[in-house]
Amino acid sequence: MKTDAVVVTEHLTKSYGATRGIVDLSMRIETGEVFGFLGPNGAGKTTTIRTLLDFIRPTSGRASVLGLDTRADSVEIHRSVGYLPGEFAPYRHMTGHEYLGFFAALRGGIDRELVDVLAERLESDLSAKIASLSHGNRQKLGLIQAFMHRPTLLILDEPTQGLDPIMQQRFQSLVLDARAAGQTVFLSSHDLPEVERVCDRVGIIREGRLINVEDVGSLKARAVRMLEIHFTSPVPADAFSGLPGVRDVEVHGDVMRCTVGGAMDPLVKAAARFEVVDLSSHEPSLEDIFLTFYGSDAEDGEGAT
Amino acid sequence: MIVTVKTLRDQRRALIGWAIGMAAVVLLYTSLYPSIRSNADTLNRYMRTLPEAVQNMIGGSGDITSSTGYLRSEIFSTMGPLLLLILAIGAGARAIAGEEEHGTLDLLLANPIRRRTVVLQKFWAVIASTSGIGLVLFLAIAVLGPAFGLDLGVVDLAATVVSAVALAVAFGSVALAVGCWRGRRAVAIAASTSLAVATYLLNVLAPSVEGLGPYRVLSPFYHYIEHDPLRNGFSVFHLSVLVAIALVALGLALLGFERRDLAS
Repeated sequence: MKTDAVVVTEHLTKSYGATRGIVDLSMRIETGEVFGFLGPNGAGKTTTIRTLLDFIRPTSGRASVLGLDTRADSVEIHRSVGYLPGEFAPYRHMTGHEYLGFFAALRGGIDRELVDVLAERLESDLSAKIASLSHGNRQKLGLIQAFMHRPTLLILDEPTQGLDPIMQQRFQSLVLDARAAGQTVFLSSHDLPEVERVCDRVGIIREGRLINVEDVGSLKARAVRMLEIHFTSPVPADAFSGLPGVRDVEVHGDVMRCTVGGAMDPLVKAAARFEVVDLSSHEPSLEDIFLTFYGSDAEDGEGAT
Repeated sequence: MIVTVKTLRDQRRALIGWAIGMAAVVLLYTSLYPSIRSNADTLNRYMRTLPEAVQNMIGGSGDITSSTGYLRSEIFSTMGPLLLLILAIGAGARAIAGEEEHGTLDLLLANPIRRRTVVLQKFWAVIASTSGIGLVLFLAIAVLGPAFGLDLGVVDLAATVVSAVALAVAFGSVALAVGCWRGRRAVAIAASTSLAVATYLLNVLAPSVEGLGPYRVLSPFYHYIEHDPLRNGFSVFHLSVLVAIALVALGLALLGFERRDLAS
């Protein structure tokens, strides 16, 4: 076991009957990286995270965090980990200040100034009763409690759920600052663009199995977009099919739909020969990504390390 | 103690309500005592016509118009322990299972605190809140009783209240333990309440139902009141039985919670 790995799982398995859980999951998260855990809802992201925190116990396999065993040393691990659960549920009758004060006391005191800085960056009102806060404002409180004790490792389960785009950007800058400060970040998401923006590496999980781990750079290089172009008049399909990187061309009268991987240029040049009314591009769904990247037999893929 | 203090602070409004309710119950029953005493003969004659089990329910066949007999039947056989039991069972069930159902348990345990520490601190909170309302019961009787002509020894009264608190904490601990194993508040309440009802019935029916007699000692209610602490004061043995029940339940709570996967 290399010493610079912050999270190591070895053949981690959690069975809950037929469908849910995780299967033989082995991975490493290195010191100082932002590691994204990407997968659709129910893929096993939360199960993995809650196993690392010893809330649930693996059926087989083992895991360590910061070199400590998740079963034997969970209290030591918790001292160095900031955690935001997927469904952040604070004590609703408390104010933000009371809530953070309670957790600060359980951690033996924390830097008050950092709480103020975080609250300011996220525009969070800590004097309001939590019950009166919107979902997004509660989520901000969740982020503050995760970051406020300067943890060595941040484990964030779907951290930007319910945040508006501006706050998502603020969150991303928090994560990048954390990395700059030498903290390690493990975040789960089902949102590919978010993962692309903040992560160094991405583990892709599906149906409880880790099907690939790769650099965000190579993921982006293989990214596929769905394009829809409206023309003033009907266009021939063969003007587009056969272009490099262009697939699944469908033409219905004056509308052309296709998927594009890699360079956009050949398609744009080809479309420019006709008069374009509208052009829209969609991020593909995760399922589309899995199908494009790994084929339909992805679930039989090897767990990467 | 951080979790204990926080848990009690969360309950502070409810506890004020419990205190007022308990004091009101004491006021109601103590203020009725003068009229009861003036009809003593009639009432005692009526009492002796009741079935034995009913007499047991309202505090044995002793003289219910004496100070101790009256308090035993009107407060310590009914509303007193009932209120304390409801309070303790509710607090015990909420302690772990309530947090788990609300989804707040994950983050509490994400702090550097052991599971068993959380259970222990919640257990202290159950004891503290039940004792606090028990203290109100004691003070209310100690103050209001003499005002309405009830003649009683302070130590004997204290012994009875302590016994009632110990009874409630025992069942509160059962609720805590069931919550620790199952993670469901309703299950914890249902299980501990059923146990309380069953053992209560065992205690009051045992003297008059053939074959039940030897099992009466299994009922916590027997150890709570049958040695008549209002007259006889503290009983180390009977109190120890109640404390032992609470401790065994606590042990089971710690064991169950340590082993289990938590619901998210």
